[in-house]
Amino acid sequence: MKLLTPTVLTYVKIVLLVAVVPAVVGFVIVLAERRFMGFMQDRLGPNRVGPKGALQGLADLVKLVTKEDVTPALAEKAVHFISPVLSVIPALTALAVIPFGPAVRLARHVSTPLYVTDVNIGLLFVLAITSIGVYGIILGGWSSNNKYSLLGGLRSAAQLVSYEVPMGLSLVSVLLMTRSLSLVEIVQRQERIHLWFVFPGLLAFFLYFVSGVAETNRNPFDLPEAESELVSGFNTEYSGVKFAFFFLGEYTAMIIISCVAVTVFFGGWLSPFPSVKALDFLKVIPPYLWFFGKAGFFVFCYIWFRSTFPRYRFDQLMALGWKWMLPIALANIVVVAGAILITPGSTRGLFALAWIYGGLFVAMFLLARLRRALARRDRLAAVPHGARESA
Amino acid sequence: MALKKWLDRLTLLDLFDGLSVTGRHFFRKKVTIQYPEQKKIPSDRFRGMFRLDEERCIKCTLCAIECPINIIYIDWHNEKNPAGKSVKVLDRFDVDVKRCMFCQLCEEACPTVPKSIWLTTKTYEMAAYERNHALYLDIRKLTDWQAAPNVKPFTVVEQG
Repeated sequence: MKLLTPTVLTYVKIVLLVAVVPAVVGFVIVLAERRFMGFMQDRLGPNRVGPKGALQGLADLVKLVTKEDVTPALAEKAVHFISPVLSVIPALTALAVIPFGPAVRLARHVSTPLYVTDVNIGLLFVLAITSIGVYGIILGGWSSNNKYSLLGGLRSAAQLVSYEVPMGLSLVSVLLMTRSLSLVEIVQRQERIHLWFVFPGLLAFFLYFVSGVAETNRNPFDLPEAESELVSGFNTEYSGVKFAFFFLGEYTAMIIISCVAVTVFFGGWLSPFPSVKALDFLKVIPPYLWFFGKAGFFVFCYIWFRSTFPRYRFDQLMALGWKWMLPIALANIVVVAGAILITPGSTRGLFALAWIYGGLFVAMFLLARLRRALARRDRLAAVPHGARESA
Repeated sequence: MALKKWLDRLTLLDLFDGLSVTGRHFFRKKVTIQYPEQKKIPSDRFRGMFRLDEERCIKCTLCAIECPINIIYIDWHNEKNPAGKSVKVLDRFDVDVKRCMFCQLCEEACPTVPKSIWLTTKTYEMAAYERNHALYLDIRKLTDWQAAPNVKPFTVVEQG
């Protein structure tokens, strides 16, 4: 038992959570993305390598690693070399503060929490570190000495700066409820007040996830890559391992956005409604599986969005960010702050807010149903009377 | 009208409609046919590889005449049969399939009933490494699957 000192455990956790997990999860996500997109397009997706295509990621990796590493003759060599690293390392570093689960017992007197460290500015740390990842994309686009790559880098710069703002503001409104930046503390507070922050922060969550999709350059905000416009943008001139690094960086960023969404809004490792006795049977599933399940759902949403939405035009992207999401985020902060201020020292304001937002959500859902029913009636009315049977 | 549009925007109707479409297709039966294991069954009017029935052929050469790119080569001579009657005997009936566009005009031109030359064999696995020999069918290859080793005759495999 001398072996499992806290220092050793920390190193083991660093290796496991920061290096092994993203690599393995990255493989799973790449495969899941290709297969699920296939399913949504009525295809099967890659299913030849290994059972059900399970080893496809390995095959892709072997292909990428054995490729020639090309650097354009007129590229800025040093920057070209460093930028894939710049996009991966911050993403991996941010994983260190994500709480995957509470303490687990490894041996009789040894137990360790499932996160590398609990920084008291955890959320700020994640935001700050992932912002550095932007440099990888911008510098990669610039140093390639290729106009399409440069355009991709420029777009990425503008887009990421714009969407940091609503993302930060949507998290600010949650910080009013959490009163702490430590990610572990945020989860524990959700357990204590018996409320996931997604209910009072429904709007904040929506804003956060949309800007999160934009932050990670994924569809429908994939303008920096824009395969059909910019021949994949900032990474055009990258091949082999460097390209794999950009890829890993993008997927790790996806994982982080999903993990932060789970931690801040969906109660992290908590099972649904942990205070309700009738749902106690859900606690059979270990907390870290709850975490991975929830995070996996958001990664699935990423894939779902990718196969559904067409790409925004650049001015539409900017208009959405500045003219819609920013004012809504600001208004949301005022609303949340008001709800907290009118009931000082208790969480009643938050519950009231949760009911209001829930009611609004249901009302919007019903409105949408009504609108769809009206549209269907109009469509049927447009069909000539005799043709209605066949239509 | 303006209210309707405003409602649509507020409820993000288009976005959720789109998501529901892809969501439904996610569970739908897939159209992919896993080719080497499963094979597509062509329809009855599918035009596949050539076949020829030498018995039925009356050596009228109408098919060769009708062929728009002249890839059917027919030679014949007269012979006396045991009854002392003069009959045509084929020397050569070659189809240069590598240039064929499977227009089926030769089959339409054939006057015999049933047709002596036909393409509705459903056989479509005709990939070859070398086109001038593998896809040049003489009378032996036209009448016998075994003689045309590059062509896999159509066999029905259950589609899953």
